[in-house]
Order: sequence, then C-alpha cells, then structure tokens
Amino acid sequence: MIELENISKTFTRGEHGIVQALKAVSFRIASGEFVAVRGASGSGKSTLLNILGCLDLPTAGSYRLDGEDVARHSDQQLARVRNAKIGFIFQSFNLLPRTTALENVEVPMVYDQGLVDRKRAVAALERVGLAARASHFSSELSGGEQQRVAVARALINNPALVLADEPTGNLDLNAGREVMALLSDLHREGRTILLVTHDDAVAAYASRDIILRDGSIVSDHTHATRLVEGTR
Amino acid sequence: MKAGKISLQAMRSLRRYRLRTSLMMLGILVGIASLAVLSSLGEATKRETMQRFKNMLGTFDAIIVRPGGGRTRGMPTLVNVPPTLRFDDATAIATELPEIKAVAEVQNAFDIDVKYRERSSSPAIFGVSPNWLALRSEEVADGAFFTPDQNTSLARVAVLGQDVRSQMFPGEDPIGKTIRIADVPFEVLGLLKSRGAGPAGNSLDNVVLIPINTASRRLFNRDFLTMLIAQVKDPERSTEATAQVAALLRRRHRIQPRALDDFTITNPAATMAQVTHAGSTLTKILTGVSVMALLIGVVVIMGLMSIAVSERRKEIGVRRAAGATRPDVVQQFLFEAVFVSLAGGIAGVMIGWSGMQLVTRIQKLPPILVWQPFAVAISLSLAVGVVSGIYPAWKASRIDPIQALRS
Repeated sequence: MIELENISKTFTRGEHGIVQALKAVSFRIASGEFVAVRGASGSGKSTLLNILGCLDLPTAGSYRLDGEDVARHSDQQLARVRNAKIGFIFQSFNLLPRTTALENVEVPMVYDQGLVDRKRAVAALERVGLAARASHFSSELSGGEQQRVAVARALINNPALVLADEPTGNLDLNAGREVMALLSDLHREGRTILLVTHDDAVAAYASRDIILRDGSIVSDHTHATRLVEGTR
Repeated sequence: MKAGKISLQAMRSLRRYRLRTSLMMLGILVGIASLAVLSSLGEATKRETMQRFKNMLGTFDAIIVRPGGGRTRGMPTLVNVPPTLRFDDATAIATELPEIKAVAEVQNAFDIDVKYRERSSSPAIFGVSPNWLALRSEEVADGAFFTPDQNTSLARVAVLGQDVRSQMFPGEDPIGKTIRIADVPFEVLGLLKSRGAGPAGNSLDNVVLIPINTASRRLFNRDFLTMLIAQVKDPERSTEATAQVAALLRRRHRIQPRALDDFTITNPAATMAQVTHAGSTLTKILTGVSVMALLIGVVVIMGLMSIAVSERRKEIGVRRAAGATRPDVVQQFLFEAVFVSLAGGIAGVMIGWSGMQLVTRIQKLPPILVWQPFAVAISLSLAVGVVSGIYPAWKASRIDPIQALRS
C-alpha cells in the first residue's frame, strides 16, 4: 500500500548550511492500517507528512503509493495523486471562509475528471453526522463540526490514504474525542489512516505507533487498539 | 469540463467577496462608460458632419468650379462673381474630358421675391440644367422635374423645395399653380424631397429650381455661370480629373503660364478628407482620455486581486492539497478577473448608454444610434480582465501549499 524506502530530505537554510530533516526513513503501511506518527517538534514528522501527502518530494529514496512510484512525479502528476488518492485533515481545519459546509466538501471534486456530484457531497456530510448543517457557513459551525466537515471533504474522492495532521490540536476534549471516534470508525470500515500527533492519548487510538527523533525512526510497534469502546 | 467547474468556483468567490467585487467593477465601469460615451459621441458627430456635407453636395464624386480666383466666402451669386465662367466652358468639360461623366450648370441668386397670391417669400433661386437631379442624386417628392425640351424652349416652370412649399402653400397642393418670381409667372411642376441641414446647420430646402436657359434669358438676363458641377467617372481618380478641368479652363481662358487661375475648383473628396481628419483628431484625444481611465481600471483590478491573493493563501493551499494544479489556480484567478471586468464593462456600457440618451434628450439632440463603440468597449473590458488578472493569477499559482497550510 505505502512503501517508503530510504527517504531522505535535506533543506538548505541560508548560511547555516544543510538541515537533514529525514535520514533514510523506510517503512511500509498495509492497506487498512491506522498508524500514528509521533515525535517532538523538529523530529521530521511534518516533513514526512508533506512527502506522504505528495505536497513535497524527497531528496532521495523511493515512495510507492498504491503501486505508483510518486517520488519522481511532476507537479501536475502530484496534484492528480493528491486529488485521487489522498485525503487531508488539518489541525486548523482549513475550511474555505464564507463557504457552506456542502461547498467545502465539494472542493476536491472540482479538480477530478467527473462532475461535481452534490448527492455524493450530501452523503459524505451524512457520514460525519452533519447533513443538517449542509447549508451553514463554516463560520457558523463549532470547531468540532468544522473538523468533521473537513473529514467529509477528505473522504469525498474515496482516497487510498487519509492523512491527519494533529486533527484534535485545536479542539476541546469532547470535540477531540468525537473526531477521534469518527477516525476509529473509518478505520474499522477499512480506511488506511496516518495520524501525526505529539499527544499520547490521541496516538492510542491507532493500531501502530511510529516514533521519529531527529529525522529517524526510533520506534515502530503494533498494538491492539485501545479506548475504542466507551468513546461515545 | 474542469474549466467549467473552475469557472463556477470563480463566480462563487466573486459572490463571497461582494465589497471587493463591486470595487473592482467600479474601477472598470468608469473607464468603459466614458470610453463608450465619448467614442460614440465622436462617431455620431463625424457621421452627422458627413451627412450634412452630403446633403449640400449631393454626391462626393463631383468637382465644383466657381468663377473668380479669389477664395470667395459663402455662396457665390450672380451679383458677386465675375462673368468668366461660360456655358461653353461647361460644354467643353463635358465633351472633351474623358474623366468627366456629366456637367451641371448653375446660375443662382438670392433676395428675389417669389409671390403666390398675397403670400411672398425670398428663397434661393437656382437656374439649373435638367441633369441636376440625377447628378446630385436628389429626387422629386411629388409632380415632375423639368425636361431638356422645357429647358431648350425656355419654359417658365419651377420645382419647389419643401420650405417654400410649407411657407407659400400651407395645406394646399402647389402642383399646377402659378407663382411669380420677380413678377415673371412660373408654373409649379414639382416638389423636391427634403434635403435636411447643411454643414452650418442651415436648411437646404428653401430653394426654387428653374431651367437654366429660362433663368439666363427670361429672369436674370446673364450669360455666365455662378457654378458648375462636374461629376467624375471614377471617384478614385478625382485628383487627375481636377487637374484636367483646371488645365482645360486655363487654355480656354487663355491664362498665361505664370498667371493665377480666374476660377476656383473644389474637390469634395479632398474637403471631406480634411473634415474627417479634423474629426479623427478629436476622436483620438477622447480615446486617449478613455484609455487613461481604462488603465486606472487595470491598476485597480490588479491591486485588489493581488491583495486578494495574499489574503486567500490558505484557500489556495487547500485547493492545491485537494488536487488543484498550478494551471488550475491560474485559471481560477484569471476567470475571476475576467468575469469582474466583463461585468463592470457591461454595467459601464449600460450606464453610458442611458446617460447618453438622457443627454441627447435634455440637449434636444437627434438620438445617437452608434453601437460599435459599445461592442468595442465590451471586448476591451475582456482584455482589461486578462491583462490585470494575469499577474495576480500567476502569483497565486506560485504560492507554496505547505507554507500556506501551516499558518
């Protein structure tokens, strides 16, 4: 499903020379896994997320996503991969302002080959329990609701991989639990989810735990999912 | 398909930022409205001038010859011209010069009393040759024009202009009635169609036309012409024809090589070119002003769009993450600029049009029905949209989605 082999990423930062954000990182994620990537800030987890999300290219190494080698893709090809295979969930939700929940969910459909299918967007909102809020503007929704709209947007093109970057970072405890419960549900439905967080409680929802430090993986182990029951 | 979806996104975001959208529209509206109004006023003025010249001259493919070398002001008449232009000059031009199709002879006078019963008036009296109508492409509204036979037999017949008819025959059919021109009785044969106004705005319908031979022998008792009109065969060659006429007249009048002409030739094509040139200078100035106004529109749209792009960095990041390519982003912002300036242009045209109708109504001018500048204005607003949108759109496409999404 996802195969990373010796992925390195180096940045040139002015006079200080070269910063190596990722050092020959390799791992595989099978279809249907729920993986949490943890690490302190500066550990390279954002860089890893950008590369996994096809927003950035590695300096070296290979990245196969759903059978496609994307490490040498052009800008246009990367855009197509993001559109078809990746759903993004951000810490700050990133819904479009002055735009209804429904129109937000429709955005990824603008950039694929088909028509904008309003019924599919409504169904996605139903899936996250917000069908009644479809015509509300993003500013009229609570933080938790906004993040659930973002989840619906991430799912709309039926992606192979859902990437969540600190999805509960801007939410209170209850709203955070709701969003994590939603991600757990998606996991049980067979979605492949990769979660980046520094919060151990959030990471506990995942079935596999990868810890990064200074651009290298220091720990990678699978465990039984916890806290699945009793979250609602 | 994708372009259609992106254009819909562009329209939605114009609707989302209403204030900005209306400011951008306003920026282009002023320029387009002034461009449309000024250039259609200019165009209408030019056409009106052309029309008035045509009213006076009848055709543009004729050369006008007047006696006397000095440039006389105003209309020549029998009392203010030297007796140098003769009937046989006209005949010679008509028969000897292959470039000339036909020649009309004219003797005219003003301040002559015309009477019908107790009513009197003093229209311009024109003695003209029978080919007058055809040569000037005029028409008779009612009755008939005099024939060559009537000219030869010195018939006392007259054709009236519309002003004379309304002054002397109000509510009465003038055909067949007898009028007295300087106490000589003339039978009214026909009525001319109205010719409207001349270049100075004066009426061209206050005339009485009579056969030139009758005029010469029975009315004025003069054997010289006040004017002759030579129609050229090929309007493209009117300069050559003019030179030929001048050479022939100099030979016939035995003018020494260094001496001045004793006649004056006007080439209407040349006159017209001058008139339109003067008109086009005015048009150029007006267009310059409007182009400045349009440039301000470009600056306004470009500025507001650039600000919009930096404010919407996050939106651009989201769209890029959702699979928008750089060309997709360019397309969206370009569409926004084009839509907004097209909408501003159309609004400008509508406002300009109604403003112009208002002005013509208040000033009691004839309605202006020149639409071409409006079509030009709308295509210009399209161009303004592209020009002012291209840079902000390019800037938007260069935004790094990683940076944009992090903030």
